[in-house]
Amino acid sequence: MQRIGVFVCWCGSNIAGTVDVAQVAQSAAAMPGVVYAKDYQYMCSEVGQNMIKQAIAEHGLTRVVVASCSPRMHESTFRKTAAAAGLNPYLVEVANIREHCAWIHKDKAEGTKKAIALTRAAVAKATLNAPLVAGESGVEKRALVIGGGIAGLQTALDIADAGYAVDIVEKSPSIGGKMAQIDKTFPTLDCSACILTPKMVDAATHENITLYTYSEVESVSGFVGNFEVAIRQKARSVDAKKCSGCGLCAEKCPSRKAKSEFDEGLRTRGAIYIPFPQAIPNVPVIDRDECTYFKTGKCGLCSKICPASAVSFEQADEVITQRYGAIVVATGFDMIELDKFGEYQYGQHPDVITSLEFERLTNAAGPTGGKFVRPSDHKKPKKVVFVQCVGSRDTSGRGKPYCSKICCMYTAKHAMLIRDKYPDVEASVFYIDVRTPGKNFDEFQRRAVEEYGVQYIKGMVGKIFPEQDKLMVHGVDALSGETVVIDADLVVLASATKAKDDAEALGRMLSISTDTHDFFTEAHPKLRPVESHTAGIFLAGACQGPKDIPETVSQAGAAAAKAIGLLSKKKLVTNPCVTTVNEALCSGCLACEKICPYGAIAAKTIELTNNGVKETRVVAAVNEALCQGCGGCTVACRAGAIDLKGFTNRQIMAEVDAICF
Amino acid sequence: MLLEEKTSQEQAFEPLIVAFCCNWCSYAGADLAGTSRLQYPANVKIIKVPCSCRVNPNFVLRAFQKGADGVVIAGCHPGDCHYSTGNYFTRRRFTLLMNMLDFIGIEKERFTVDWISAAEGSKFAAVMNGVLEKVHKLGPNRKMRDKRWKR
Amino acid sequence: MEKIAAAVRERAKRALATGEVDRVFAWKRGEFWYDVTPAVFETADETDELLWDSFCVANLSKYLTGAVRQGFKVGVFVKGCDALAFNQLLQDNRISRENVRLFGLPCPGMVDPEKLKKAKRYRGVRAVARAGDVLALQGKHGEQQVEAPAYLYDKCLVCRHPNPVVYDELLAEPQPVRTPDSDRFALVNELEAMSAEEKFLFWQEQFDKCIRCNACRNICPACSCEKCIFDNGESGVAAKANADSCEEQFFHLIRAYHVAGRCVDCGECSRVCPAGIPLHLLNRKIIKDIQAIYGDYEAGLDPNVPAPLATYRLDDADPFDGHQKGGKK
Repeated sequence: MQRIGVFVCWCGSNIAGTVDVAQVAQSAAAMPGVVYAKDYQYMCSEVGQNMIKQAIAEHGLTRVVVASCSPRMHESTFRKTAAAAGLNPYLVEVANIREHCAWIHKDKAEGTKKAIALTRAAVAKATLNAPLVAGESGVEKRALVIGGGIAGLQTALDIADAGYAVDIVEKSPSIGGKMAQIDKTFPTLDCSACILTPKMVDAATHENITLYTYSEVESVSGFVGNFEVAIRQKARSVDAKKCSGCGLCAEKCPSRKAKSEFDEGLRTRGAIYIPFPQAIPNVPVIDRDECTYFKTGKCGLCSKICPASAVSFEQADEVITQRYGAIVVATGFDMIELDKFGEYQYGQHPDVITSLEFERLTNAAGPTGGKFVRPSDHKKPKKVVFVQCVGSRDTSGRGKPYCSKICCMYTAKHAMLIRDKYPDVEASVFYIDVRTPGKNFDEFQRRAVEEYGVQYIKGMVGKIFPEQDKLMVHGVDALSGETVVIDADLVVLASATKAKDDAEALGRMLSISTDTHDFFTEAHPKLRPVESHTAGIFLAGACQGPKDIPETVSQAGAAAAKAIGLLSKKKLVTNPCVTTVNEALCSGCLACEKICPYGAIAAKTIELTNNGVKETRVVAAVNEALCQGCGGCTVACRAGAIDLKGFTNRQIMAEVDAICF
Repeated sequence: MLLEEKTSQEQAFEPLIVAFCCNWCSYAGADLAGTSRLQYPANVKIIKVPCSCRVNPNFVLRAFQKGADGVVIAGCHPGDCHYSTGNYFTRRRFTLLMNMLDFIGIEKERFTVDWISAAEGSKFAAVMNGVLEKVHKLGPNRKMRDKRWKR
Repeated sequence: MEKIAAAVRERAKRALATGEVDRVFAWKRGEFWYDVTPAVFETADETDELLWDSFCVANLSKYLTGAVRQGFKVGVFVKGCDALAFNQLLQDNRISRENVRLFGLPCPGMVDPEKLKKAKRYRGVRAVARAGDVLALQGKHGEQQVEAPAYLYDKCLVCRHPNPVVYDELLAEPQPVRTPDSDRFALVNELEAMSAEEKFLFWQEQFDKCIRCNACRNICPACSCEKCIFDNGESGVAAKANADSCEEQFFHLIRAYHVAGRCVDCGECSRVCPAGIPLHLLNRKIIKDIQAIYGDYEAGLDPNVPAPLATYRLDDADPFDGHQKGGKK
């Protein structure tokens, strides 16, 4: 018979306000196996914990049940308490009488009754608890950063500076991400390239950083401290070791149909190309879908003229498998497509552009050499209209219901830049609300209005009609209620941000969750903002939600700190709640193996003597290092031969019985 | 009416709902319902399991035997399982079990599976209130009851 | 059929005589003319007793597991349903294919002695011969010919696989399929249409008859556990107290769930039930649901296709996403 101690917490008035804690303790004292029951104001306090320790010693308790807040809150606290008193920490059970009881019920009699039932279930389970010993696993001293934008670069640099090896996997041919496309950054108006490119160079030259550009994560297995990742390095068709980056091939490539991704399609590029002059690595890549040689077998000009003979049409994808202790996801964001917003003429009229296109248009290295002209006739526009919230805060289903967060600021930046360079150009902004929380953000936006005379109109644009060489922007000024028509030369749409299209697939690969909009979900919105739900996988940047650069960088630093914390550990304590096979019961059907998401179960042949006859039999065997304790196999097993420690069939059934008491 | 005459206990019908909640989503969702002080009846009693795929049909039937008037299994949304695929199995297993229960005459309304994330405290409360409402309409469950077991 | 029976006997004799196999699993005469029992033959001489007639309904596959595990090479005769069962045992790792020689027997359907009895054809019969769909009941007072289909087991009347789906050699000409597959769900459909109360009363009446003899489980080729959870006192569900029908409900529901996606619908559970409980209806209900929800899957057809409960699809039907508020997409 167990000697169980039950400790009922008041949690001040949080529990005691709705639950008669004394009565719970009194009822608990009469439960089978309970030799000691006590209530106290704050069980988690030092006094409360000492009370538990003392009772363990004085009453020779073999099991401890704490009726208190959620085990998600203080289970580990009470386990440590028990361990300090010499009791195996897994002999502690917590009855959740706060979140699941006191806080949701008003009637004290009802609350007390339920608290007693929950305590009874915890006592019933604790009776069957077994001492468990956590195992240990090593930590691979290497981190993987997925995404080579500013978030990934910052994370990688911070981890690398702490002395750990980092690999960056970037899908596109160069690192840099969205920030490389941006002209100036708010609220200081630094040149984006001037602050980003040094970081790119730092990453490329850092002794601890390895870049895998034009590469994608193909599969992920393993667990915290011991991930195994396969990275597919797509064939560049150029031997990076030989290439000197002279750019002759890109210059001479006769194919000019492909639109430059970097310039948002505002100009074309060759089939062999370097995405932008500061690209890292400065090695061209052949776009095999565009290349005449790959399509027809003819041409091959680049190969002929390459002074280093670096072009290699035969190059194949390469899959690299590497082990990592930690993974940081920094895959960034994209802008939504605007095909559902026909009223704005985007895609119909060349002078209706997105904000990101505007960034390229005003960039000195952009398609117009920084000359501010409109795409249709290369004339300088006189009136520019900015439309905010194109698809953001949109509950109609066409766009995204959330605020994209960065548009108010960059629109103010765009309008301000125009007015600064060309005081003769009129700039108007249609907005729903101006949202500028952030250091020096509101001041920045006010400057746009007050110093630069940008006209802000509260209201949405209903429709845009092209009329001769003008774009007639019809909107409503919500403050005056009057219709506003502006004969604009250029319209800039602040389209909503969205998660990457492949975010959900990547999330599945990593077993981290995504929210309704496919942004990765953090472990806790306030307290664990850079951790995913999966241990050892962290989040940085806009893949977790819309973010500006300063926020992204700080989150990247935080994710790096978490990763460093993990990598610096010599050993990780593994979850002892893993499954175990009773070989005598196992039929070897391996139904368990088939559903295990971790490949933790394998067949094993055993020899045994059955009624004096020697037999060989196949049974399931669990690799405890791989098992994560979901318990799915225990249900697949008809005979109940495989059971989950800490949540055994008997324990859960005892809880059911006790709750139905 | 199925078997016995109505008892006085039945007139003040206090249903018992046993809810199996996965540790990562639904149990946390229930915690959030508590933290947000959302009300749902005290008849719902939660048992924590690591994953909804840990719930054995044995447990469900056992609960009905021992007097539950309704049983709930709550897990992460498909695609969001902490163990990546657990709830896909939950979904198949209990789709079949629910149909079987229905086939032998246990009303479908007495058995609920739902996907409740850690962020859906209000959904947790709503689901529990919904279950209670349906079970109240059906009245006490006598089917499959172990008559030796007195609640 | 008698001609095939001779060939069957001959084949078994040869297999044992040449050492091709160590054991042959087949059938032999029991106490009565309608009583055929499974039998193990270890020597060529014993095979004279081996028979193949209209009463060889017993599924032999499950008997192989022990012998195979002890390292014997075995031969076994399989009808259509037996072959499905064999594949299921293969899928469950209970048998190894290499050590088994499968003699396929296309099956014309087996005769249900109960049906003969009910039709008052039972008395005085000493033997039954069969030619195609004609049964010759041979008795003291001569021979009486009847149409076989009227006396076949119900399960044989809706048989989808009269011919074995797996074999090493086939010992007779293939048999035609009698009915479309949908026919076997007629009773399931009827029950589904009932109210909850009616359904419960129906099953309660059935389960009340259960004496927990475990015959259904012991005959079932999908119930091949080393130790059944209901025999394991440690499992916490092994209760056998016959206080009321709740234990039986539990037992039969869980048994049906355990064979879900694995039941080959051989119908043996109902055939061997001394209380006459139509247990196969529970299994057929599940088969019907699996086919409707997860697409065509037939247990025992191909051991390499994952069973419905051993796999999933991301876009599986989700009957549980009724409450969308605040949920994901």
